[in-house]
This record gives sequence, structure tokens and C-alpha cells, in this order.
Amino acid sequence: MAAPDELFCWEGAWGLPSVSSDCLTVLAYAQFAGAPLKLRKISNPWRSPSGSLPALRTNQNETLSRPADIIIHLRKQKFNADYDLSAREGADSLAFISLLEERLKPALIYNSWVDSKNYVEVTRRWYAEHLPFPLNFLLPGRMQRQQLETLRLLRGEESLEGGEELEKELYREASDCMNLLSQRLGARKFFFRDSPSSLDAYVFAYLAPLLKAKLPNGKLQQHLKSLENLSSFCSNILLLYFPHDARESSGGQKSSSPPQPEGGDYDHVPNKRRKQLMSVLVALGAMLSYAVLTGILSIQHMQKEALEAPPPDRQTLDPLDEDEEGDG
Amino acid sequence: MSLAAEAFVSQMAAAEPWPESATLYQPLKEDQILLSDCASSLAVQAYLRMCGLPVQVVYKSNAEYMSPSGKIPFIHVGNQVVSELGPIVQFTKAKGNSLSDGLDDVQRAEMKAYMELVNNMLLTAELYIQWCDDATAAEISRPRYSSPYSWPLSNVLAYQKQWEVRRKMNAIGWGEKTLEQVYDDVTQCCQALSQRLGTQPYFFNKQPTELDALVFGHLFTILTTRLTSTELAERIKSCSNLLSFCRRIEQTYFEDKSS
Amino acid sequence: MGTVHAKSLDPLPMHGRDLGVHPDDLVELPEPEQESKQEILENKAVVVQHVNVQGLGRTKEDLLGYEISEVFHAKNLIDVMKKSHIARQKLLRLGIFKEVEVLIDTSEGSDALPNGLDVTFEVTEVKRLTGSYNTMVGNNEGSMVLGLKLPNVFGRAEKLTFQFSYGTKETSYGLSFFKPQPGNFERNLILNLYKVTGQFPWSSLKETDRGASAEFNFPLGVTNHTLKWEGVWRELGCLARSASFAVREESGHSLKSALSHTVSIDSRNSAIFPSRGALLRINQELAGYTGGDASFLKEDFELQLNKRLFWDSVLSASLWGGMLCPIGGQPSSIADRFYLGGPTSVRGFGMYSIGPQSEGDYLGGEAYWAGGLHLYTPLPFRPGKGGFGDLFRTHFFLNAGNLCNLNYGEGPRAHLQKMAECLRWSYGAGIVLRLGNIARLELNYCVPMGVQSGDRICDGVQFGAGIRFL
Repeated sequence: MAAPDELFCWEGAWGLPSVSSDCLTVLAYAQFAGAPLKLRKISNPWRSPSGSLPALRTNQNETLSRPADIIIHLRKQKFNADYDLSAREGADSLAFISLLEERLKPALIYNSWVDSKNYVEVTRRWYAEHLPFPLNFLLPGRMQRQQLETLRLLRGEESLEGGEELEKELYREASDCMNLLSQRLGARKFFFRDSPSSLDAYVFAYLAPLLKAKLPNGKLQQHLKSLENLSSFCSNILLLYFPHDARESSGGQKSSSPPQPEGGDYDHVPNKRRKQLMSVLVALGAMLSYAVLTGILSIQHMQKEALEAPPPDRQTLDPLDEDEEGDG
Repeated sequence: MSLAAEAFVSQMAAAEPWPESATLYQPLKEDQILLSDCASSLAVQAYLRMCGLPVQVVYKSNAEYMSPSGKIPFIHVGNQVVSELGPIVQFTKAKGNSLSDGLDDVQRAEMKAYMELVNNMLLTAELYIQWCDDATAAEISRPRYSSPYSWPLSNVLAYQKQWEVRRKMNAIGWGEKTLEQVYDDVTQCCQALSQRLGTQPYFFNKQPTELDALVFGHLFTILTTRLTSTELAERIKSCSNLLSFCRRIEQTYFEDKSS
Repeated sequence: MGTVHAKSLDPLPMHGRDLGVHPDDLVELPEPEQESKQEILENKAVVVQHVNVQGLGRTKEDLLGYEISEVFHAKNLIDVMKKSHIARQKLLRLGIFKEVEVLIDTSEGSDALPNGLDVTFEVTEVKRLTGSYNTMVGNNEGSMVLGLKLPNVFGRAEKLTFQFSYGTKETSYGLSFFKPQPGNFERNLILNLYKVTGQFPWSSLKETDRGASAEFNFPLGVTNHTLKWEGVWRELGCLARSASFAVREESGHSLKSALSHTVSIDSRNSAIFPSRGALLRINQELAGYTGGDASFLKEDFELQLNKRLFWDSVLSASLWGGMLCPIGGQPSSIADRFYLGGPTSVRGFGMYSIGPQSEGDYLGGEAYWAGGLHLYTPLPFRPGKGGFGDLFRTHFFLNAGNLCNLNYGEGPRAHLQKMAECLRWSYGAGIVLRLGNIARLELNYCVPMGVQSGDRICDGVQFGAGIRFL
């Protein structure tokens, strides 16, 4: 137990400690179990030891990336949030986690990655703004394709045609699932007893992003908000276990929307500038390389002169080098 | 769960009574069917027997492709085609046959959760063992799966299926699991089921529900199917109450019918 | 032979058209030279000393040897011209030259005979690679077709074609290799690899075929034969959830390996608007003998007779028929059975909408026959005669046919009776448009008369296109 394990997670947004459900699961579980983790919130999956997020680097230098594996690992380290549960309750939590994975997960994937309005205005936008430069153009699209493929495989159907019908069906299943959870939770604070367990971590992780994200197409979100006990369950956990993130968001909420977009702009402007700079650079580069190319062609014609009046191409290249350094 | 929007199905199915000519389709029993399909099919048969709805089982080598969702089994009732247990339960409910009406909200939530537990862990484990364990895939799954087809189509289809299942496993994070880990998952799942069942005759006391049908379908099939290793069955056998549960359902719903 | 031609020679050099060969492709002989030689050579025996082919790139010379060797056997100038012309036609037919020109000159050089001639073929080869690009828009779908053709790949008139079609609904491709026997172009071998997807709304069926085939074509007397082996992996599926259960039962994969033989005699003067001649085509297919899941024997034939009547009108009679016998107790597949009906077969009925059906999906039949009697006339008052107007015909037709399943235990008498009862027939009139030399469009007013319950009829105006027509 010398050095604490290191946990790599996606950055947070919308008052959540992380945007990804898988990361939230691990974060919440670690909080519930009181596991001391060295947390690294990053926005570049390539900087994670496994290439994906979340990832846990143990002090034995092992890397775990499935939330279930990480939880098992933490359990082995005696950080067990389910310690108090009876065998029967353990069985129940296993069953409800399966319910979440089978019924809720496909709809959540659909909600944030397939629904085009949500994807373009929220999901892609967030990743595009937070990923570092070349990745922000590549990764969101790739992640979407992966999620689509996952959805297709989860459903086990040939293709995801059927658009609206599929959406209806997924959302109906998910709403059913939320109803069941709400019924199971009843008026209690947590699913079992007075302290949260792994099931609470999973439910929180799946539902909190749905509750907090500002989705333009909010059919599923509406349904969740109508289930009061479930939505207050999420806010409660947020307040109790992630007070820092929650305060940030409520601070933002108090002064209402203005700071939020401003914050967005603050994030946005440097990107914009960087993009402008990039486009200017690309154009400049193209023009210069064209000039160099034609220059070289003409040089071959009159090589002797070129010797005397040294490199016209060097002159053109130098400022380019400087620019690139300035950018990098 | 298939494309069968259940609402649509129930609209269409309402009113008409259950016909005598209802049929259930599954792959060929002796040469073709695989453990996971057999389990799903048995679960549906058990459910229909519990409801007292007669159904005639038809074995077709192309059952998988006939099914509207591509999954086994499916039933053909009147001019409706419904596949998989979930939609079939909805369908019978629309026709006025339901096993779970007596449950309260929390119990119904638990029942659905445990059904998903079986799908999420047992069914996935069956698929994993069939197609991702090389010995089982080579000795049992591929030869059986491809048995109705002639060479070289048989090989193409079997490998295509294996490839598809492996991709699914990767997508749900089971790709890196070892066989031992999968067996442990099965143990965990069985222990959970065993805990939930306790000493009751059925999961929700005196009356069987669709959960009982689903659990019976999977456990009974695993117990009675020969695989390359008996490990899977051994894991179940460690929970004695599940064994007697299977025997009970078999005696109540399957034996007296045949005699 | 030589003398006969020599006698009738006088008017000839001026009027190349009387050579008795096809008028379209004329030998463009350099005129002044021709006239000057004419006086000296026209009645004399000549010897063709050299035949040169200029402009060859990747074409192998041995291939051309077969095509032009006849020229050496010419005995006088007329013969030389005639044989050169035929050789030119043969060269063009290979499809590997864009242009072929013939030059005939007196021999020069040390070994030149006084009556020696040199024949030079100046050829321009087609490009090594040609591409094409099309877009097609059909009902509810669009597709893009990319074609690549490598004519003369190995220098002996072989042809490699690749076609790729990318559609909004599906992609298809085909790779085909064509190899003629040198010197005998009609004898050729074709190898194909393909994937085709088809949607058949009349059966609520979709089909994906992936297959390979090898085909050998050869003429024998007046007949043309094709021997073919084809191996196809067929995947059938329902087009919609609402497809009938009978179609659903046919879903799934199957492998068909079939040997087939086609013999045809075609003496018609045109494939689309023939005015005389007859066509007989008999096709037989044996599946299952060489492996695969499907086993059946399929026979079908097509007969067409044409007779020119007064005022350029043509009477045409056609008869089709076919039978499919499943072998080994297996029922036949929906993809192998016959279909009938539509704007170019039995008119007045919906596309393939005759015969056995289940919940509105047509399942096809194992036996069928269809007959048609047409009177084709030019357009009334003949607008655009000699040009645009010749692409059109009006026609009056009487069609009849039947499609059903036979019980093969019953014997031929019962079969004939079954084919004769439940007859479908219709009559009507319409306009036919020729599309190139392969297809035609028809706009007809149809009156279906003999109709059975379950058939989908098309009473009134019917429009359609087809390659094969009754």
C-alpha cells in the first residue's frame, strides 16, 4: 500500500466529476468505499496507460480498464462498499446491475451518440472542445462509430435501420428500466440500507449524465426528471460525495445561465483563435510550398545564378519554421 | 426486444384467443441446435406450458433466419410472428395470459432485474463458451452450426457466426476474459439466483413466473447438454436448491404432459 | 471464283459498296492510287507478298495471324480488297482496336514481284484501361455504377471487366474475364465472380447472391451453344416484417451448384424489332449434381417467329414454356421457381403477379407456359421516318399464359390438363420504344380477360421495360 493507485478519468462537465458513465462508476465506487486513489482527470485518452478511459494503474503497475475489474481490484484491496450487504442483497445488486446494462445502456448510447441533435450539439461539441488539437477532429467520429457498433452488437441485429422505431423501442425499454429502479428505490436514500453500495454507483453513473447534460432532445431526460426519487438520488450523491463538482455547478446555476456560456466562450475563444491560426498557417504553408516548388523548378534552369544569390527557398522556408515552432 | 415493437404486437394480438395451431420454431434438435439457442427455446416452451398455452415445436434448419429478430426461438401464432421470451411474454399478456400479475411493483422490478441477470451473465457465458473457447468452437459449435449446409458454405457461415459473436464479446468487454473468469461469473450468477430462490418452490413463492421459465430453460439445458468439459454444469451443481428447482419444474410441466 | 469477279469488275473500284459486304464499314481505299493501279492490275493475277500490321502495341502478332491469313490467298485485286475488308471486320470485332485502316500497295524492295502486292493494316489499339461512371435512380434508391474495363489484357483479345455499384440500399460487384480462342472468336470462355443483391417486392423477398461461374460458348453449325457451371451462395430474407410466412420459411442460406446448357438458333434480322426470321432457345439446368444444397432439373424454351406483312407491318408469334423438377424429395426454392406476368411478358398483369401466392406474396411456380401474338406496325402517319421514328412501333397484342405447380406423380396427361385450365389471357395495344439494341420500353393499354383469383391485374395503361419479351 505504498503509493496509491492512479486512476485516469475523463474530465467533468455539467457539474459532474466526469462525463463518461464508466468513469463515474469507478469514481463513485471509490468514493463510497473510501479508496484513496490518485485521480488524474484528463481529456486525452491517448495519455491513459491503456489508451482508453477509465484506466487504473495499480501500484504493481498493472493496468485495468473495465469498471467491473477495477471494482474487483478495489474490493481485493479491502475497499468494499458492499461489505454490509447480505447475500440476498448482493444477489439483488448483481441483478439490477445486469438490468442497467441490458436495458438502460443501449438507450443511453443511442441518446448521446446516435440521436443526431444530441450528438452534434452536446456530445461531439464537448469532446471536440476538450480533446487536444489533432485528436479533436478525429476521435469524436471514431468514438461514435465504436458506439454505433457496440449498439448494433448489443441488439444483435443486422443493421440499425428503422430509425424512429428503434429509438422508440430503446427509450421505452429504458423508461421501463427507470421505472423499475424508481420502484425498487422507493423513498429510501440508497438502494440498500443507509450507505451506498456498488449498485448505487452504477445507477448514479448511468443516470447522472442523463440528468445533468443539457440535451436538446430530452425525451429520456424528461422521463428521468419525472421520477423524483431517482433524480434526487443522483443529486444527493453528487452533493454528498462530489461536493466540489456539485458546488461548481450550483455556483454556475446561481448566477444562472450567463456564466455558463461565458465559461463556454472562455473555452471556446482560444480554440477559435487556434483554429484561425491553424487555417492561416495551412494556407500559408500551401502557398509557400507552391512557391518553393516552382522556385526549385526555376532554379534548375539557372543553377549558376542560384549559387551566387543563395537560397531563395531558404528565405521562404525560414519564416515557416518559425511559425511552426510558435504553434507547437 | 426484437424489432417487434411490443406495443405494436400487443395491439395486433389483443382480442383473438390463443389458437390451437400455434407453433414454435427452433433449429434441428439432434444435429444443429447449440446450447444457448436450446436454452432460450426451452425457456419459451416452459413459459408457454406454465401459461397452459399449447404450442407445437417445429424444427427447421433455417429457424435463425426465419426469425424476425434473427434470434431463437420464435412463435407463429395466427398470422403473428414473435421472437424471444420478452416479446412473447408481452404477446401472451395481450391475449390475457400472464404469470406475473400477482406481483407487486417491487417484486416485478426484481423479477425483471433477475431476468436480465440471466441474459447478461448466463446467456453471455454460454455464447462465450460456445464460440470463444477454441476447443468447444472447433469440436461442437462450428460442426453443429454448419451441419445443414454443404461445403464450402458451411465453413463460411460458421466462421462468420463465430466472428460476429467474438465482436460482440469485445464490445461488451468480455473479449479479454479467460475461460476461468467466465466460469467464475457463472458461479456468481448461480449463487445470486440460489440466494434469491432460497427455500421457496419458485422465485416468487408459490406461483411460477417468466423468471422461473427463463432460469429453468438455461440451467436445465446446461445440465443436460454434453460439452467438451463438464465444468459449466459442475458450477451449477454446487447450488443444490437450483437443482431441485429444475427437477421440480421438469416434473410439473414436462413429465406429466408426456405421460 | 477469280474470273467471275474479274468479269463484273468494271464498275467496282468506283463503288466500293457493291462488294457484297456490310455497307456500314467501308474500306476507305486511297482513291488516286487506286485508280492508277486499276488499269494495270484489274484483270491480272496478283500475289500478296506481305501483309503488315502497323500500330501494334501490346497485341500479340500470332493472334492477328489467324485473322488476316486469308488475305494471302487472294488471287486478284478484287479478291485482295474483299479479303482485306473481311479481315478488317474480323479485327474490329475483336474489340481491341479503335480503328483499322487498310492500305494496298505494290510491293517494293529487292524481292518484289512485278505483280506483287503489299497489304498494310494500320490499327489503333484501344486504351489499356477504360473506365465508366453512371448513376442510376430507381424506385426509392439511387446507385452509382463504376466500371473498369481492361480490353486486351494479355495481348490476345482477352478482356477483364470489373463493375462496382454502390447504392443507397446495397452494393454489388462483378468481375468478369473473357477469353476467346485465337482465330475463332465465337468460341470463348467467360469466368465471372460476382455479388448481386436484389429486392423482389412482389414476393416480399430480398436475395443476395455471391457466386462464381464459368461459361463456354461455341457455335455448332447454325446453332450457338453455351455450357455453364455456376456456384452461388444465396441468402434469402424477408423484405419487410409483414412478409408472409411462406416467404419467411424460405429465408436463410443455400448453396447452388448447377450445370446448364443453352442452345439457340437465331435467324432474326434484329433482336428487338425483327421483321423476319425465328429464334429458338432451349435452356436446361441441372443443380445438385456437382454439390450444393439445391437439387433440381430445370428446362425451359423460348420460340419466336416473325413474318413481314404489308406496309412494313410484322406479325410475330412467341411461345415460352418451362418446367422445374425437384430431385431427391427436397421442395424447390422460391429463388429457382418461374415467375410470370408483367409489362413485357403476360401484359395486363402485375410484375410477376400470376399464380400461387400467400398473403399477397407471389411464390412462383414449377411449370409455366406463355404465348403471345403481336402485330407490329410503324407509327401512324410515320413521323420521323428513317430516323427518330424508326425507334418506335405500335403493336396490337394477344397474350396468354399459365403458371402453376405440378404434382409430378400424376403423369403428363394430368399436367397438360392442369396447364390448360385456369388460363390467363389479355389483349391490348400500345407503343414500343427500342433502347439501343438490347432493351425496349412499352407503353400499353391492356385489357386482362382471363384472370384467376389472387392475380394482381393491371387494367388499363401499363408501362414497363424489358430485355426479354413475349
